[in-house]
Parts: sequence; structure tokens; C-alpha cells
Amino acid sequence: MRVRLHSDKCVGHGRCYVLGPEVYGEDERGHCVPAAVEVPPELADQARAGAQNCPESAIELEED
Amino acid sequence: MSAVNEETGEVHFFDPAVARCPHAAYAEMRAKCPVARMSVTGMPVVARYDDVAWALRNPQLFSSDMSAQMKLGNERPMIPQQIDPPEQTRYRRLLDPLFSRRRMEALAPAVRVHANQLIDAFEKGGECEFDAAFAIPLPCTAFLALFGLPASDLQTFLDMKDGIIRPAKYLASPPDTSPESMTAFLAAQDAYRKQTADQMFAYFEDEIARTERRSRDDLLGALLGAEIEGQKLSREEIFDICFLLLLAGLDTVTATLGCNIAYLAENPEQRQKLLAKPDLIPGAVEELLRWETPVTAVPRLATEDVEMRGYQIKKGDIVTLLIGAANTDDEHFSDAQSVDFERERNIHLAFGGGPHRCLGSHLARMELRVAMEEWHRRIPRYRIAPGETPTYSPGIREVMYLPLVWDA
Repeated sequence: MRVRLHSDKCVGHGRCYVLGPEVYGEDERGHCVPAAVEVPPELADQARAGAQNCPESAIELEED
Repeated sequence: MSAVNEETGEVHFFDPAVARCPHAAYAEMRAKCPVARMSVTGMPVVARYDDVAWALRNPQLFSSDMSAQMKLGNERPMIPQQIDPPEQTRYRRLLDPLFSRRRMEALAPAVRVHANQLIDAFEKGGECEFDAAFAIPLPCTAFLALFGLPASDLQTFLDMKDGIIRPAKYLASPPDTSPESMTAFLAAQDAYRKQTADQMFAYFEDEIARTERRSRDDLLGALLGAEIEGQKLSREEIFDICFLLLLAGLDTVTATLGCNIAYLAENPEQRQKLLAKPDLIPGAVEELLRWETPVTAVPRLATEDVEMRGYQIKKGDIVTLLIGAANTDDEHFSDAQSVDFERERNIHLAFGGGPHRCLGSHLARMELRVAMEEWHRRIPRYRIAPGETPTYSPGIREVMYLPLVWDA
């Protein structure tokens, strides 16, 4: 699974790094910074929780 | 009562009965007139999630700068709310880090202490009026901690906020309802707002001078040290930020606390889930933000003629984006009319969206979580006092009267 962040859409709601703290991090402004593009299988649930709870639809996941 | 008049396409939204339980009115509006005309003002109201989200993300069409239309005693636009991108972005770059989740979480221990101090005062009595005893003072003490101001300034802060938001509280009621009396009463309210704004300016001027001498590590200190493109913020800019924070940051959390506790008092089976599993509290905070949506609507100024679902929005219209209706839209939430603390996908817009996403959202979430944890740890089983009915204010759904009892 790969994370594609559309950073132009992110406004810092912060749902992703609260719900998926090992997949998503935050920059100084509280905007999303993915820990890595490639998500290990054990973190897939965190990746999905963060992506589907983004109110701006800023995160896309590419499933394998 | 139906909130919608289908013949005229008008909605009556700002009604206390609707404020107490707005869900039926929301559903009716989404289904029958997703863009409706507000009674009295004749201005458009937008009810569906997609439309509300689209307007929030397009500030070039739906501007947040209503400083000319909404006078709250301020002479300049409030920063950053009444300024749109690209200028607004410069302020948000500076302010977002000061309100980041990390920084707000650092305030959690202080909020926990304050919550317990408030509860200490009434726990053994077995009753309280929740709004006055807890919901109003808690966010204010959190704010004082954030600003680095003394807790003894609580009443001063509350009076400054209310002097702007509800000046009528400090004025004699008009003698009658004649147009002359009402016009005079509105003028007196404006004068009181102006006077309060001057008082706030003097208060912050004083605190800024003190901060300059002591160089404190708190919000005022950070604003004093902050620079935009190599330029320090002016006194006016710092004040315009503080003015907004005071108006936007206190009543909203007060209202949310009241809505949450009133809901849980009336739905003990839901409350039992939180008592059995306190880990559900963060999810409950999100779900109740969605379901209750205490800030029911935000206004935007149309900068051009726009057609939305066949409705002609005219340039200059003040458009009401009905966040509460968006947050209960079946198109975007599964089983939208049920309250589920373990909802898998919750993309509510209780903090708005787009570039004006609530600056204080991480502060609010932390305050709500800590307050819910401490309240339920100390007073797990409470109910609305027998024979009493909570009262909700329209617009911002503050539960202005919430008498609770419990076995002490």
C-alpha cells in the first residue's frame, strides 16, 4: 500500500496523524507529512483510518 | 412545526425549538430546499454537505471578510478570520504552529487541574447548573493559561467577551417594542460593544507592555517575537488576533460542553459506553461534534453571482453555510441519523474546512477530551433535574440552562 498526499488540499485538521500516528506525521503548522510512501502491511489499518477521516480528501491510498 | 415553507422556499431556522433539536429541520432542508431563503433576512442558506464543503474551499467566491457587514466593535478586520488567502495564509503560517496539536496537548495538565477545581466546588452538593458552574469558566481558564495571564482575570475576560457578543446583558431592557425604542436599544448595544473593544485594547496593551519587559514563553510572548517576512507584528495586528481569539475561542467550547453533557444526560445508555470504556471518549468527542454541531452555521459573503442547485446567489449576499445540516447528510455519513462513538469514517465539518479551518480546533479537542474524562471520572451518573428542560440558544447552540443532579 502506498500513500499519496495532496498537500494542496491539506489544511491541518490533523485527523490523519491522530488516527494513524505511525503512518502520518505533522509539520510545524500541523499539516500532514507521511512517514513514508510505502505502508507496511501491519500499519494498513492506520493508513486507512487516517485517509478516510480526512475532511478534505487530501489522502489517497493505492492498494497493492 | 415545519422549518421549511415549500411555497415560498423560506426557512425559519433561528427558532429556540429548532435550536434544541435541529435534526428534523436539517433533514427537511436537505431534501426539500438544499439552498433556501432565510426568513426575515431573505439571504441564502446552504444545507448539503457537498455544497457547504465546496463553499468553504472556495474563499475567492465565498469570502470570509465580513468586516464591513458585521460590526462587533472592531475597527479593522479580525485576524485571520476576516482576511482571505493569499494574505490570510501569511498569518496562518505564523499562527498554526502556535495552535498545533503538540502545543495544545502541553496545556492538557493545566486544563485537567482547572476542571477538577471547578468540580470540587459543587460535587458534594449533588447538583449544579452546568453552564454557569463548568461550561463557561473551563474554556476561559484554559485561555488564560494559553495567554499566560493570571487566573484571577477570569471575570474580566468573561465580561470582555460578553460585552461584545451579548451586550444586552449589561444594558437596561428597552421600555417597549416600538421601532424607536428598538432602534435606540440597538444603538446602545453598538456603543457598548465599542466601549468594550476599547477596554480590551487597553487590557492587551497593558499585558503586551508587561510581556515586553518579562519576555514570556506564552502566546503573547510568541506574538511579540513573531515576524512576517522579516517584519514584526504591529500592536494593532496583535490586538486584532487577540480580539478574534477571545470572541471565537470561549463560547464555542462552552456550547460544545453543554451540548455533550445534555446529550449524555438524556441518553444514559450511550453514557454507559463511555463509563465502561473511557477510551471511547475521543471518538465520542468527534461524534458529538458531528451530531450536535454546536456552531450550527458560518456566514460567507458572495463575491460574485453564483448559481447553486438552481438558486441564484447574488454578489453581496451573506450566505449561511449550515454546518449542522452538512454533518448529518446521509450522502456522506453511513447511518447519519444515529450516534455512534465508534464511527469508522467521520469527516464532519464542525471546525469548518478549507483555508479557514478553525485555528483553535486542536485546543478545543483537547479541552473537550479532558473535560469529558474528568467530569465522568468524578460525576459518572447525572441526570437533568426532574421537571426541568434545558434551553438552547440559536446560532451557537449554547445550553444556557442545564440543571443537573446526581447522588453525592
